[in-house]
Amino acid sequence: MNEIYPSRNFQVDVAPTLEIRHLDKSFTVVGRELKVLAGVDLSVKSGEFVTIVGASGCGKSTLLRLILGLDLDYSGDILVDGAPVRRPGLDRSIVFQDHRLLPWLTVEGNVAAALRRSPLSRSAKQEAVREQIELVGLTQFTKAYPAQLSGGMAQRVAIARALVNRPRFLLLDEPLGALDALTRLRLQDELKRIVQHEETTALLVTHDVDEAVHLGHRIVVMQPHPGRIARIISIPEQARQDRSSREFIRLRDEVLGLLGVGTAVLQTPKQARLVEPSR
Amino acid sequence: MTVDTLRARPLRNAARYWRPFTAFGTVLLLWLASVRFGWVDPHFVPSPAAVAARARTEFTTGTLAFDISESLRRNITGFAIGASAGLLLGLWLGFSSTAERIVGPSLLAFRQIALFAWVPLLSAWFGGADAGKIAFIAVAGFQPVVINTWQGVKGLPSAYRELADVLIFSRIDYVRFVALPGTLPAIFTGLHAGLIYAWLATLGSELFLNVTPGIGGRLNEGSQLFEMDLLFLGIIVLAVIGLLYNSSAVWMETRLLRRRTR
Amino acid sequence: MTLTASAPRPVEQRMTNLLPVLANVACTISLPLVLLLAWGLSSRFGWLPEQILPAPEVVWATIAELWRDGSLIEHTLVSLRRVAIGFSIGALSGLLAGAALGLLPVVRSFVWPVFTAVAQVNTLAWLPLLVLFVGIDEELKYVCIAWSTAVPVTLATTRSIADVSPNLVELGRVFDFTPMQRVSVIVVPAALPSLFTGVREGLAAAWQSLVIVELFASFDGLGYLITWGRQLFQLELVITAMLVIAAIGLSLNAVLEYLEHFVQPWKTEARHDR
Repeated sequence: MNEIYPSRNFQVDVAPTLEIRHLDKSFTVVGRELKVLAGVDLSVKSGEFVTIVGASGCGKSTLLRLILGLDLDYSGDILVDGAPVRRPGLDRSIVFQDHRLLPWLTVEGNVAAALRRSPLSRSAKQEAVREQIELVGLTQFTKAYPAQLSGGMAQRVAIARALVNRPRFLLLDEPLGALDALTRLRLQDELKRIVQHEETTALLVTHDVDEAVHLGHRIVVMQPHPGRIARIISIPEQARQDRSSREFIRLRDEVLGLLGVGTAVLQTPKQARLVEPSR
Repeated sequence: MTVDTLRARPLRNAARYWRPFTAFGTVLLLWLASVRFGWVDPHFVPSPAAVAARARTEFTTGTLAFDISESLRRNITGFAIGASAGLLLGLWLGFSSTAERIVGPSLLAFRQIALFAWVPLLSAWFGGADAGKIAFIAVAGFQPVVINTWQGVKGLPSAYRELADVLIFSRIDYVRFVALPGTLPAIFTGLHAGLIYAWLATLGSELFLNVTPGIGGRLNEGSQLFEMDLLFLGIIVLAVIGLLYNSSAVWMETRLLRRRTR
Repeated sequence: MTLTASAPRPVEQRMTNLLPVLANVACTISLPLVLLLAWGLSSRFGWLPEQILPAPEVVWATIAELWRDGSLIEHTLVSLRRVAIGFSIGALSGLLAGAALGLLPVVRSFVWPVFTAVAQVNTLAWLPLLVLFVGIDEELKYVCIAWSTAVPVTLATTRSIADVSPNLVELGRVFDFTPMQRVSVIVVPAALPSLFTGVREGLAAAWQSLVIVELFASFDGLGYLITWGRQLFQLELVITAMLVIAAIGLSLNAVLEYLEHFVQPWKTEARHDR
């Protein structure tokens, strides 16, 4: 019995906040054209947590950079609230894989750096910084420097920095990839809690399937060369809550199968039809 | 860890700590011995005692203290001029790619002219007294500062640039919060080297343009009048000042940058 | 993996390759051209007296004249000879001393502090002393140049050997290398890049100290030309010699960069901040 069904809609009656339509992106490498993203369609509703999984080379990180507005050279549409994205803005923030904290600023300074362009008053900014640092549980280290923090702590500061502006969208580019496995597991739950608390719409890119299934409301499975969406799957609440539940395992195996890994790699033609990229 | 190794350790550590001093001590002893036992011609190598005595006379009734202060004055003035020019130009070259393409190659070509070749030209342009010396010291201090600053700005990781884009930093914000602090280590390296070069240039200009008071002038005097004790004293003074510059530069570097590294 | 490859069209490709190169060349020579122009205008309109800034034509005429009567070549060769000999002596001693200090930690812990202290005193400071000991003949030049070369070479050699990654040395132990094998297979290639940088620094230092020595205590050579020109207040001589010095400096640099590729093709160029 298959409880998992492909679905593009999260909540039927709410308009999508982020819409990507027919996105194509190519790079020119040594005179040749390399297609990185082909025909990507994605709609994200407000408050959704969407995880994007795929092997290297499927353009996941490129997709995030396009949504951020760091790169304007593409064909297709990227719309936030119906308006096309033209430049970076405080409504979209990102957590990088390398935390990219400025080593010469304290934790407090780093989080405050994101407020440089914010119209808030000085006291409001200070309050926001304090609040975010508390949210990620690092109040004790407010005056510490990045060099004094562990990898996990530094990444938490990066998360606080990304959230201090109360952005509409929180983009995460393999944020836990550089951490050891135990820290990763701990931070995954932290991340879920924080995003839920802030009610931000989140897009997380990862190559860890377990992470993707555990954190997301929907999971976007991408395949490389060129990068395209293979399937978008809704994650039932049961799977999100419990890593040992049947739903979780089944969903994880399905995703792994789509990625061509593990026992779920489909052998028969009948099953292979289910793996066809859906557009 | 056994008791024996525990006992042996402090002794070995002490030995390691004392080794540099034993080295210096050995040199001093050799110096004393060679004079005492006549291994060298006493006309050429004065005894440490003679040098010490000369030092005493020079600092009480002689002009050495004044000479030192003059040299230091020129050094600091010239270095200040050269270093500020170097900083400004280096920052400009680092931030503006057009500036880099136009000015860069000529600057690199200018660097190829051996430093001291500038002395005669500068002395012809600015005179052989203070101004000429300070001009040369400025040129000497300028070169390492401009190169290191330039390379420091260029070497800023693009990851930080991207971060500044994402946080929509203005140009000023970028310079203030990312570019300048990020370049600071390279700037310090440049200033450190500039300091050393400027001190060298101070000495050189004084040796070559022997008109006004200064340590170089005293060295020349010692050489010409065959006063070895003065000569040795001069060299020791030079070495000490150079050492002081070096260690204070290193101290400042570690202090100001210590928070950034583990 | 399929790449959408677009076949480059020959003529267009060559044009698009040529254009940035031309633009680069234009940028590079723009500043010198402007300076040259300013120089020419200044001497034409007499903004600066002839004695301070001789006209470009005069400088050019001087170069031509010195070239014709062979004295320019003569002085240049004298300087080059001194550098060649002094540098070879200094580099060789520096390499040997550096190797000894690098490979024998006991020797290093005794000698290193004294050496670094002495090394900080520039050749220049030793000159008045050396002149008394060695006179102002060729020996002085060789000693000065050799010493200025030996200092950076020794420092760089010691550091590069001592800094060979302990991981690699450990690898040698795992493979049960003899000490000789360890040195030849691991230490030397690993140290080679910074060693070469040290040699480059040594050459730069040799060139610098040649100029210093020739300015102070010589009767021939490019440095002497400068001093002589200065004394006669014939700045065209000074500028001529400076131009030759710059040219030699540039070519030395270029030659060494080229050699570096030969010596260590597996390594990109080490950055050279001084």
